[in-house]
Amino acid sequence: MSLNASLNIAVQSLLADTGALQATNNNIANANTVGYSRQTVTPQEAAPYTDGQGNGVVLEGYQSIRSEILQRQIEQQTQEQSSADAQQANLQQIQTVFTTSTEDIGTQMSALFSSISNLSTDPTNSSLRQSVLTSGENLVAAFHTASNALATQQAGLNTQVTQDVSDINSLARQIAALNPQLTALKQSGQDGGTLQDQQDQLLLSLSKLTNISVTQTENGETLTTGNGTALVVGGESFALQTTTNSDGVQQVTDPAGTNITSAISGGDLGGTLQVCHQTIPELLTSLDTLANQFGTAMNAAQAEGYDQNGAMGGNLFTLPAGVAGSAADINMATTDVSTIAASSDGSSGSNGNLANLTAVQTTKLATGATPTDTYANMVYQVGSLTANATAESTATAASLVQLNDQRNSLSGVSIDEESTNLIRYQQAYEAAARVVTTISNLFDVTMSMGTNAAS
Amino acid sequence: MRVTNSIADMQYDMQQSQQDLSVALEQVSTSKRVNQLSDDPSASANMVRSLAASTNVDSYTRNVDSVLAKLQTADSALSSVVTSLNQAVTLGTSGANSTMTDANREALAMQVQGILANVVAQANTSYQGSYMFAGSDTSTMPFTSDAASIGGYVYNGNSTVNQVQVGDSISVATNVPGDQIFNSGANVIGSLANLISVLQSGTLTDIGTATIAVSTALNYVSQQRVPLGNSIAQLNSQESYLNQETVTLSTQQTSLVGIDLATAATNLSQAETTNNAVLAAAAKVLPQTLLDYLQ
Repeated sequence: MSLNASLNIAVQSLLADTGALQATNNNIANANTVGYSRQTVTPQEAAPYTDGQGNGVVLEGYQSIRSEILQRQIEQQTQEQSSADAQQANLQQIQTVFTTSTEDIGTQMSALFSSISNLSTDPTNSSLRQSVLTSGENLVAAFHTASNALATQQAGLNTQVTQDVSDINSLARQIAALNPQLTALKQSGQDGGTLQDQQDQLLLSLSKLTNISVTQTENGETLTTGNGTALVVGGESFALQTTTNSDGVQQVTDPAGTNITSAISGGDLGGTLQVCHQTIPELLTSLDTLANQFGTAMNAAQAEGYDQNGAMGGNLFTLPAGVAGSAADINMATTDVSTIAASSDGSSGSNGNLANLTAVQTTKLATGATPTDTYANMVYQVGSLTANATAESTATAASLVQLNDQRNSLSGVSIDEESTNLIRYQQAYEAAARVVTTISNLFDVTMSMGTNAAS
Repeated sequence: MRVTNSIADMQYDMQQSQQDLSVALEQVSTSKRVNQLSDDPSASANMVRSLAASTNVDSYTRNVDSVLAKLQTADSALSSVVTSLNQAVTLGTSGANSTMTDANREALAMQVQGILANVVAQANTSYQGSYMFAGSDTSTMPFTSDAASIGGYVYNGNSTVNQVQVGDSISVATNVPGDQIFNSGANVIGSLANLISVLQSGTLTDIGTATIAVSTALNYVSQQRVPLGNSIAQLNSQESYLNQETVTLSTQQTSLVGIDLATAATNLSQAETTNNAVLAAAAKVLPQTLLDYLQ
């Protein structure tokens, strides 16, 4: 083997060590970069001479250390967590409407019955009568407040849906743009490296917004939404759209115009749609039903008696024609204290019919429960929905920490490890440099062979 | 396992312990375990029911107070009627004595006349602007003079009895209709009017009979006072029951959403200890790298 060949081996060695030092340098530089997968170098023995003698080292390339399966699990879990977070945040706001403190529907309902009961002690007392009307007004106001709060919340969520969908479309475009580049890299046998890290981060951002499924194809990653509609195929992305449905609520449609709202369950969009399309409409219906049945029952009790002037009792509450919108539109039908039908025999001093009015409190409505119990059930419903969303958010957060731990264990940069590598590659480089010096000396010796200087 | 310089774990632990700390702090500062519905949905729902029950108890208590005042007024009016009737019986008995002169009897008749006027005045007693013995026709004076009626007075009220709820399943009558006390059974007003007329122009036997009739009426009114007295006694005992119920309900509400200070304080100090431990651990681990030792 010639000195030149040895020099070649030394140069290869220097190059390989420089490459390794670069990888280490890059790892250290990205130690705190979110989504970075550490890179390793893979030195290989060079093809040997025919006599089997070693021929130095070749740097095959850089390899990012990552697990696609782990990445998919993290995306999956992120979708669930974002959905739970969106629900929790919205329900936290909703539940303040149904507090058990002062101005809520339950309290105002009790206050109305209390004022009616007090009126029975002195049915001609106009200040007691006024207090019944005032309590009625307060109850009506409580219904309005609750109904408005839910409607306002829903309107706010419509904006959120539009925003989410536009973000999803923008992310899908970016992911699609990376697909051809990654495909080209892979076809040339190279590692996706930084580009793959970028795409994984984009997928993670997309997972925060909606549920997607990812399949690897030879054209890169194909993304589909909950019901299988393609979002990204190869270098192409397909935009989702939003339309307003008949109830004034935003729904999501695929490029073909099909309504895919119900298929979106994950991510911020999934959680938002859940609250917007399910939770709030259900609560509004419960509120409307309560307002309607309560008002109807009170009016029926009024009709059984006589007012202070001896006339048949008229309506106490006005209600819309149907159940829908009752909570928003229920109002007091009268501001005249004499119209309260306290009397059961037509004389002004009789209080016989007040018992019929207070009996509404303990009589089951068509909901199958008394007004107070119906309201208590709503309170329970809102409370447990919020508690469930909170629990799910906490649970998925814990499991995400686990998954991220695993990912960091595999792909994360260890400064200690890189520091050690730095020393190792530095020493290897120094050794290779020494080889070059040695060979250089040998050349000198060879050049001056036979001269006096050599002896 | 390959351990890397990931600090996510540490951040998660710190966040968790901070959250526990803030929950504990909130519980101490509000003395409440349930600060929002989601803290305990079923306790919150029970709270709605318990608060409704409290409001009812408060309203029953107010009802008891106002009915009690009303019934006491009615009772004292009837007590005055009984006294008057007793006087009338005494006067009638002395009028039946054969030693009495017509002039004396005329004087007795005048006195009974005064008693009748007093009884009618009591029968027309009003409480807070409403006539007490007019049934539910509380705005009309129940007894007015009417020559055509027996005893010279006509009843203008009705016989409705108002009931007021003072408990979930307890109602009490708040009035006794005037016709029931003064006109039906033994007729109080009629018997007094009759005594006056026989004192003026009747025989001794007539006076004796008329006096017995007044005495019967007296017994009747006394009997009518009994249910009234019972109602008053019932209201008094209901009031103490309601007071006790208020305490029971407020205890229930405290146990539903409240937290006792000792528990809350213990929780807080535990949360503080944990938080300090997590922070101390983080402070120890975070700055450690190999580079510290490669000098």
